Amino acid sequence: MENHTRKEGGKEAEKLTKNDSFIIEGIDIVRTFKMGEVEVRALRGVPVKIRRGEFVAIMGPSGSGKTTLLNQLGLLDTPNSGKIIINGMDTSGMSEKEKGKFRLHNLGYVFQDYALLPELNAIENVYLSLMMQGKSKKEYESSASDILNAVGLGDRLYQLPSKMSGGQQQRVSVARALAHKPLILFADEPCANLDSAASKQVLDLFKKFNENDGQTIVMVTHEDWHLEYVDRVINLMDGMLVEKNDVK
Amino acid sequence: MLEKAKVSLFLAARSISRGNKGITIFTIFVLTLIFVQLILFSSILAGVTVKFNELMVDYQTGNLVIEPEDEKRYIENTAALQKKIESLPEVLGTSARLKASGSFRYKEKDAGGTIYGIDPNDETFVTGLEGAMMSGEFLSKPDRGEVILGREVSGGFGALMDSKSLGGVEIGDTVEVTIQGNTKEFRVKGIYSTLFFLADSGAYISRADMEEMLGVRDGDLAHEISIKTTADTDEFEFRIKLLSLGIKENIRTWQEFAGILRLIQDVLGIVRNIMSAIGLLIAFVIIFVVIYVNIVNKKRQIGVQKAIGIEQNVIIASFVLQAMLYAGCGVIFGYLLMRYGIIPYTVVHPIRAPLGDVSLGFDQLEAINRAVLLFLASVVASVIPAYKLANKDLLELIWEK
Repeated sequence: MENHTRKEGGKEAEKLTKNDSFIIEGIDIVRTFKMGEVEVRALRGVPVKIRRGEFVAIMGPSGSGKTTLLNQLGLLDTPNSGKIIINGMDTSGMSEKEKGKFRLHNLGYVFQDYALLPELNAIENVYLSLMMQGKSKKEYESSASDILNAVGLGDRLYQLPSKMSGGQQQRVSVARALAHKPLILFADEPCANLDSAASKQVLDLFKKFNENDGQTIVMVTHEDWHLEYVDRVINLMDGMLVEKNDVK
Repeated sequence: MLEKAKVSLFLAARSISRGNKGITIFTIFVLTLIFVQLILFSSILAGVTVKFNELMVDYQTGNLVIEPEDEKRYIENTAALQKKIESLPEVLGTSARLKASGSFRYKEKDAGGTIYGIDPNDETFVTGLEGAMMSGEFLSKPDRGEVILGREVSGGFGALMDSKSLGGVEIGDTVEVTIQGNTKEFRVKGIYSTLFFLADSGAYISRADMEEMLGVRDGDLAHEISIKTTADTDEFEFRIKLLSLGIKENIRTWQEFAGILRLIQDVLGIVRNIMSAIGLLIAFVIIFVVIYVNIVNKKRQIGVQKAIGIEQNVIIASFVLQAMLYAGCGVIFGYLLMRYGIIPYTVVHPIRAPLGDVSLGFDQLEAINRAVLLFLASVVASVIPAYKLANKDLLELIWEK
C-alpha cells in the first residue's frame, strides 16, 4: 500500500499552512436549531482545538451536541456564530460550493450507517471522489484498490454493498474516507451498528492510519472501551465542554 | 468540466444498470406509449390524407385535368387531343367529359348535383367508378336514356346526407333530370358509392344524352379531359411535358382541385396539435412523477454524495442523463413499434373508416419533431425535481426521513 501522508487538493488547499500546530481550531461555536416554535441550542459557544495527527474522541450523553459539533468541524453544517479554522484557513466565509470543494479535497467522513451508494460496488464507492477530483482512470482505480487492500477488502473490490456484512461495509466506508488522503477523517459513531469484533477491526484500522500515516481523526463515540484507541477526549454536556481538553 | 460530465455519466449509468429494473422498464414502457400516442394522430391524419387523395384521383379527377382555354367554354378537337396524350408512355387512359350542374326529381323529391356525360369505355381507364357500383351496372357505350347515380343523389347505401337525396331510388326507377332547363327522363341503371362524398354527389349519363341536353351538335367537344397516369409519374413534371407538346388548354393537377380536402386536413391538423400538446403535458407529468419518486428514494444518497464533495450540478446532471436515456429508449422503441409494427399492420389490416379502408401513414419529420419535444419535456421534468432536492440542506438530505 502506498504511504498515506496528508495532502492538499484544489486551489484553496494551496493556501493552507501545513505547519500550524492546530489543524482544527473552533472558536466559540454556537449552533441552534428551530423545532417548531422552540429554539434548541445544540452548541453553546464551544471552543475546540485539535492538533495535526491527533486521534480525538467526542463523547457525551445523548443530546449533548456530539454529532452537531462533528458536523460543524467537518463543514457539513454551518454554525450560527463562531469560527472554524482548518489548517490555518478560516472556513466561515466559504460558500456552499467552496465548502463542497474543500470537503472533496481535504476531509473524509465515516458515517454511523456506512452511507455507501448501493448502486456502486466497493471500488466504485471508493474512487467516486477521486473521479470527481479529475484523476485519471488508472490513478483512481489503483488508489482505490490500494486502500481497499489496506482495509483488508482486496478480495471484494467488485462486490456491491448489499452483498457485504456491516463490518465490511464500514471498512469500505473507511477506505472511501481515506482514499483521497484527507487532512482530517471525521467519524460519527462508526461502530454503532457493528458487533464488537467488527468494531474492533474498524478502530484498529483507524489506529493504524493514525499511527502509521499521522492521519488526524475526529470520532464521535459513546463507548468507553473505544477510549483506549484515542489520544484525547472532548466531553460535551448540554452543548458545552464539561472539562478542559486534556492533551496527552 | 469533462471530469464532472464523466462523474454524472458514471452515476447515471450505474443507477440504470444496477438500480431497480422494474422502475426502469416501467418508465421506458410509459414513455414508449407516450411517444406512440404523440405520433399516432399524425399517422392517422397522414393515412386519411393519403386516402382522401386516392379517392380524389381514383374517382373524380384522375391525375391531371385539361380544361378549356380561358374564355372558351369547350375543349375542341377532343379526339385528336386525346390521341396525342394517350401516345405518351406515362398515360394509362383519358376520358373526355361534358359536365353541367343539374337537378334530379323522383317522387316529389329533388336533389342537385354535377352530371357528367362520358364515354363509358374511356372512363373505365381513368376512374374506378365501374368497380364502385353498389347496385346495378355501369354505363355501356350504346346506352341511351340511362343514368348511374352517386349514393348521395340516390339516397341509401349509407349516404352521408340522406335527407338531401332522392330518398332511396332503386335500379330500374325513372328519374327526371334537368340540365340548363331541359328535362328528360332517365332510367336508373346503377348506383355507385366511392365513399368520397364529392364524387358520390354526382351522376353519369352517356355523352350522346349529354350532347342532346346541352344542345351540342359537335361531337368533338368536351368540358374537361381527365388523364390517368402511371403510379410513378410526377404530376407536376408531366404537366410540363404536356405543355411542351403545345397543348394550349389549361392543364391542372389533381392537387389544384383538393381545396376542400386541404381545409379538412388543416382542421385535423389543429386537432392533432392540441392532442400533441396534451400528450406532451401528460408525458411531462409522468416523467416528473417517475423522476421525483426516484429522486426522493435517493435523498440520502444525494446527501452522502454532497457530503463527500460531489458537486450539486453533477448530481442533477446524473438524474437528467437518466431521464434522457429513458426518453431516448422510449422514442426508439416507440419509433420501432410504429414504423415496423403498427403501421405495417394497418397496411395488411386497414382500419375501416367512413371513407373506406385507411392505413396509417408515417411522417418522418413529424416523428422527429415529437421525439425532440419528448426529449425536452424529459429534461425539464427531471431538472426541476433534481434541482429542488439537490439544493436542499445537506444534513436534511442525510437525516430527514
